[in-house]
Amino acid sequence: MHRIDCPWCGTRDEAEFQYQGDATATRPAPDAAEADFFDYVYSRDNPKGWHIEWWHHVGGCRQWVKVVRNTMTHEIHATGGPQSKLSVPKPSGSRLR
Amino acid sequence: MADFKPLHPLGNLDELVEKHSFFGPGSAAITIGVRKSVECAQLFAGNGNQAKIAKKLNFDSSTGKATETKGFTALPIAPGQWILISKNSAPGFADGVAKSINGLGYLSQQSDSRICLRVSGPKARELMSRGCRLDLHESHSGAGFCAQTVMAQIGVILHQLDDNPTYELYLYAGFARSFFHWLSHSAAQFGCDIEIISNQIKR
Ligand SMILES: [Zn+2]
Repeated sequence: MHRIDCPWCGTRDEAEFQYQGDATATRPAPDAAEADFFDYVYSRDNPKGWHIEWWHHVGGCRQWVKVVRNTMTHEIHATGGPQSKLSVPKPSGSRLR
Repeated sequence: MADFKPLHPLGNLDELVEKHSFFGPGSAAITIGVRKSVECAQLFAGNGNQAKIAKKLNFDSSTGKATETKGFTALPIAPGQWILISKNSAPGFADGVAKSINGLGYLSQQSDSRICLRVSGPKARELMSRGCRLDLHESHSGAGFCAQTVMAQIGVILHQLDDNPTYELYLYAGFARSFFHWLSHSAAQFGCDIEIISNQIKR
């Protein structure tokens, strides 16, 4: 179980959230090639370790929360709002890379 | 012309009390109070006006804290969003608010959209703690605590009225029967009575 720090509500249980995927995928320019849009919509990495992702606080304030989570340990390094510039911790700072 | 009568989302409340109450006033570990009706409105701040509205209406700016005003209670549910609950179930109670926030936000009438259940008694905290994932320990949530959460997979707004503690739950009327079914069954392990709360609310 995760306890996720919503920037507005404070720390809440994972059961109030819905996972919404990779928060680093950025939309290509409108005139980008179809293949770029295909990648944007469907192609996702499956990283072992740190991952920046969206969690929707659907059972609380309905805001989108950006979360830096380790997919191996489930450790949560940082959370923030949609505009927050979050980065993964340096390798030495984590138990697993 | 058909004769329409307003019906509570939980149906006939007198039958409900008869069916679910076994203990008599004040002796059950849990009492579920069904408020006959709720006069409420939802207030949305326009873009960037959240702080202005909170200041204008003297709302407590901290998350998770209800503000009591003379005519209503304001429950914060999201950034720049409040549910206003009338204290004496007076229709139009929020007209003054609508005037004073003119241009800063939006107010929408929600009275028919929600029901209110009041949970009290010596086991109220335990029942609520089992029902949701909020931290309801007295060191964390006291009188005035308010949060939107999920119980029995249904969205509810929980408001703690006092330190006894007494809780009020607001949920969409369409979920009333399903939620009440869960709540009354969960409370049965402690012993539970149902009571009707008239529209005049004393606090
Ligand atoms: Zn939240």
